[in-house]
Amino acid sequence: MRRQNQTSNNNIDIIKVIETKLKDKVQIQLGQLGKAAIVTINGLHRDVLKAMVEADEKTAITAITGLDLGPSLGVLYHIRTSNAFLTIRAEVPKDNPKIQTVIDIIPGAIFHELEVADLLGVVFEGNQLVGHFVLSEYWPEGVYPLRKDVKANEIKLNPPPTEEKKQLEYGKVVKIIIGPQHPALLEPEKFAVTVDGETVTKVEPRIGYVHRGIEKAAESRTYLQDVYLVERICGICNTIHACNFVEGVEKILKTEVPPRAKYLRVIALELNRLHSHLLTLGHAGLEIGYETLFQYFWRDREPIMDLIELTSGNRVYSSLMTVGGVRRDLKDTDLPKIKTTLEDLRKKLPFYRQIYENEPSIKARMKKVGVLKREDALKLCVVGPVARGSGVDIDVRKDEPYEAYGEIPFKEIVYTEGDTWARMNVRMDEVEESINIVEYAIDHLPTGPFRGKAPRVVPAGEAVNRVEAPRGELFCYIKSNGTASPERVKVRTPTYANIPAFLKTAIGENIADIPPNFVSLDPCFSCTDR
Amino acid sequence: MIDLDLILRILIFPGFTFILLLTLFCDWVERKLEARLQNRVGPMVAGPGGILQPLADFIKLLTKEDIEPRDAKKTVFKFAPLVAFTIMVFAICFLPIDGASVLSTTGFNGDLIVILTFSTIASFLLFLSGWASCNPYGTIGSARVLTQFLGYDIPLFMLALTPAFVAGSLSIFVIASSQTIPYILLAPWAFVLFIIAMQAELEKGPFDVPDAESEVVGGLETEYTGAKLAFLHLTRDVQIVFGAALVVELFLGGPYGPVFFGLPAFWYSLWFVLKLLAIVIVAEYVTTLFARLRIDQVLSANWRIILPAAILSLMLTVAMVTWVYPLV
Repeated sequence: MRRQNQTSNNNIDIIKVIETKLKDKVQIQLGQLGKAAIVTINGLHRDVLKAMVEADEKTAITAITGLDLGPSLGVLYHIRTSNAFLTIRAEVPKDNPKIQTVIDIIPGAIFHELEVADLLGVVFEGNQLVGHFVLSEYWPEGVYPLRKDVKANEIKLNPPPTEEKKQLEYGKVVKIIIGPQHPALLEPEKFAVTVDGETVTKVEPRIGYVHRGIEKAAESRTYLQDVYLVERICGICNTIHACNFVEGVEKILKTEVPPRAKYLRVIALELNRLHSHLLTLGHAGLEIGYETLFQYFWRDREPIMDLIELTSGNRVYSSLMTVGGVRRDLKDTDLPKIKTTLEDLRKKLPFYRQIYENEPSIKARMKKVGVLKREDALKLCVVGPVARGSGVDIDVRKDEPYEAYGEIPFKEIVYTEGDTWARMNVRMDEVEESINIVEYAIDHLPTGPFRGKAPRVVPAGEAVNRVEAPRGELFCYIKSNGTASPERVKVRTPTYANIPAFLKTAIGENIADIPPNFVSLDPCFSCTDR
Repeated sequence: MIDLDLILRILIFPGFTFILLLTLFCDWVERKLEARLQNRVGPMVAGPGGILQPLADFIKLLTKEDIEPRDAKKTVFKFAPLVAFTIMVFAICFLPIDGASVLSTTGFNGDLIVILTFSTIASFLLFLSGWASCNPYGTIGSARVLTQFLGYDIPLFMLALTPAFVAGSLSIFVIASSQTIPYILLAPWAFVLFIIAMQAELEKGPFDVPDAESEVVGGLETEYTGAKLAFLHLTRDVQIVFGAALVVELFLGGPYGPVFFGLPAFWYSLWFVLKLLAIVIVAEYVTTLFARLRIDQVLSANWRIILPAAILSLMLTVAMVTWVYPLV
């Protein structure tokens, strides 16, 4: 079932709610870090969050940022509600970095808390970190890489434990390890799946196999270098990562981007989304043993890759974004080429939609598989097509239009079934919307410069930014201290927010349901690990 | 007294070498066809149109290092693929290929049952080979093989009896040679069901659950390397040829067809290969057309649809044989 053109009828003024409930206890800084930053002390962040959840069911945690503030550690809870984005600030002393967990209020916070605990050593009471979550198993205890006092050349990894001969276990229950090398996952990540016969009873994730420390590396490079560094977080959706960072820097600089640059960015982003969605739609075919579908989708993805090369000069890493605009203009002679290619793709779409909606073996494998109910989707704070497949209408392009998205008409695709089939069909429909957006942007491309003059020096300040990546809401937090390189860059990628959904929905289903369920999240582990 | 002719028949034509080459050729046809259906080119390098690719793959695997897992049950692990391959080739030797079967006899009454049993034993050996490797993926893959072939063996046996009923004999030679009108025309319902059951029995898509790589990696092949893996692959390919050959014998009139000039054996072999290819192509087409089903869907399809349909088909055939065909 497809819902369209629905309007968010949420007019809750979340700031007012907080003001009335916790009048004198918290300090509200309007206009900072989103709509407002709410400064809390002594565990009041839980009360603020509770008040927000009670007032607005769509309250969800986008990310938790940990900051090294010298004598203390800052913990920033970035919260999105149905119509606002705000930040709760909390601080803990460095010598006793304890703070109460919020997973009983918002269960989706669990991974975000664990990451901060692993990388900054904040102890979340009630959500204890055992071992390591994103860091290597051999990482020494008590060394937290994102703290400023860590010296990289002094870190000594623990030696790997000597291998013991394991006794074979006999029994009905089998533990299957999916990953780090497994045909269903194209990137390294480990999921230990306990099965009883063919039924999954438990899934234990272990992420961090490709953790490259990009957040830390960004702190020692200049802003311009960082644009290309964060672009390398993910190969598939690289354009949106660069765009997200660039927008954050522009917010600190308070520079405006010329209108033509905004449209050029939209074209690049939507081409990126097109190729990413086609990739996933095809890959899903591979996961359910439908190789023909995979080959067809990837054949039709190739012209889009050519378009990306045409517009940016590069096939994969477009390197198009720069602070103040884009690096490359679109020639007028190229515009008809883009339009004809997209028109060709549009002609093929009805056939693909027919397959995804009605093909019996696809329906047999995807319908009622990995069902994520709307309540669970809200609780687990999932984003992007996963949320939209479960009837949660969140799309940053609509909710908080960036670039030229406010001026371009397009539909927000929402399905209500919440199963794998719905998630794939959300993407199927979004392919068409993306084509519409690119065509509209080409028709309404403003004239003028494609790059503004951005100031050379970034003043001290901080900014948060959200964009809609192909996989969902992408978030970044940038803190500048006035020097040539940022003090802290935090990126929360969509897959990171969506993994809890997989852990929940896989339980009780067949082993054979794992691959389609998993691929319907469009997992990207190099995004997840950063 | 050693009969040279018999030795040649067993070793060269239509025996071992011919069957092996036919298997590799069918593998190439399958791969090329699948590739063309999927907008790919398929094998291209080894030989004209890549026709030698299956042979090249086989030889490559033979040269690879042979690793045995520490926990594997060594004897079964080593010999199961080899025995399975031998049994499958032996089963094909009972089928009339150039007018007579490899042993140059017309078979005996009941050899249909024997070769169906052979194919079951081969499937069971494949199950054992995965089970003996003591790997979770192999174990689950093997368990799937077992559940699947145990389920589909029953309808397959029943449907194989349909031509036997029409011909009034359990000898493959009699069944094949008595088809003046191919049984595909006399009992098309049984043919369609037989193809589906065969597809499931041979673990081809959409029933390729036991070796679903996105779920259980290599299935029962996970721990196999080198020569053993080569023989596992070859066993699978021979199984496919066996299945297609069985369909040819039971429904398409076997190797028998018009003889224009010269040796009848030549024409019979030609008809046999052409009919076999037709079946292989149909089976591969079905494979490319669908997504893989889930194991519970495969099983419920068997017990709820295929098995009752097979029983109905048998009843229909008996009725037709008794009352309708004598009129034709």
